[in-house]
Amino acid sequence: MNTDFPFLLHQTVCGAIAAAGFGVLFNIGFRSLPWCAASGALALAVRTYCLGLGWNLEAASFAAALTVGAAVQVLRARTDISQNALDVTGCIPMVPGSFAAKAILGMFALTSAGTVDASETLITAVQYALRVTFTIGAIGTGLAIPTLLLRVRVTR
Amino acid sequence: MDMIDSLIPDDSGSTPALEPMAMVALDAGRMLMEAGASANSIDEIVAKVARGLGADRVDLRIGYASLAITIGIGPNGITRMREVGHLGVNQRLDQELWHLAARVSLGELSTEQTRAELTRLATKAPRHSAWVMAVAVGLACAAFGRLLKVDWAGTGPVFLAATIGQFFRRELLTRHVNVFICASLVSFVSSLLGGLGAHWAGSGKIDMAMIASILLLVPGVPSVNALNDILEGHPTLGSARAVTVAVILIFVAAGLWFGQVLLDHLY
Repeated sequence: MNTDFPFLLHQTVCGAIAAAGFGVLFNIGFRSLPWCAASGALALAVRTYCLGLGWNLEAASFAAALTVGAAVQVLRARTDISQNALDVTGCIPMVPGSFAAKAILGMFALTSAGTVDASETLITAVQYALRVTFTIGAIGTGLAIPTLLLRVRVTR
Repeated sequence: MDMIDSLIPDDSGSTPALEPMAMVALDAGRMLMEAGASANSIDEIVAKVARGLGADRVDLRIGYASLAITIGIGPNGITRMREVGHLGVNQRLDQELWHLAARVSLGELSTEQTRAELTRLATKAPRHSAWVMAVAVGLACAAFGRLLKVDWAGTGPVFLAATIGQFFRRELLTRHVNVFICASLVSFVSSLLGGLGAHWAGSGKIDMAMIASILLLVPGVPSVNALNDILEGHPTLGSARAVTVAVILIFVAAGLWFGQVLLDHLY
């Protein structure tokens, strides 16, 4: 393992804060926020650990989303919060918003008059766009698999 | 009796009124959709409500901007459609609707009582105050900033920029400004404030601080819902959500770009 503990702890805490903050934005009640924080912490801990093993971002995000989705399925009976809220909020800190912004800014830069190295700018922008697409795909698929495999129709 | 007449069922008047039943079930689905639920959840809720109110058969079509339902009791059936408003995220309303659907499915509520409950939920569902929401969003974006390797000097400005951005967004949405224009304006203001603050604080990661300041605008729930909907057999709705997410991101990036251009001119 190449991830040192302080860095793993830092990423985990930041994931928890980001998930809880977005939980408030999504109007989740205060009593349920610790579950959101735990979900975000778990997602970032798994992703950071997998990145430390040398996995790429997409694979690490997939593993993290799969873990969160499975944990939420197991815990759903104990929490008075919808499954959708819990797993999506937990994975929000992994949504690659910065890559998306960089990809579109790269596209904007291509159209400006003073582009110095157009081919490199294009390749970088496309790389970011592909990483956004694959990472969101990995998160969505990772969350969907436990739901599709383990879904039990219960009265919520 | 000719062939056509034999296909039209007799209205004996003994079955419950289908019209209010269909509209109440549609309203439950509309509210759930506007609260950010995925297609399968909407399907499940609407079926629970309609069957709980007495329907034998329920078929639902979920579009991005409308819901259509066909319900039937015995030989009678009707099809109705309902427009869906702006798709936001409101998990407490989502949760309340699940509880209500459970009560309806147990036969505890009549159609009129269910309609009254839906009206009550639409107006009285609790929300966090603007201050709490803005501070929480600020903290979330600051945490995002740390995840994006923004240094500590840049983290404080990210918190302030995102907090102000959330206040600004709420104000714009209260005034019914178009969501795409709102995304651009908030992105511009937040990124500019984040960049200026990071510069004054001596941060070495001004660009990342600007990006972290606008992450409150990234449509995370719709993007995950889009993929979920496609995987769960609703490709039309999933594609519509994905296109909306892409357009929002373009408007967010446009605001960020203007912010970067202005910051470059200032320094």
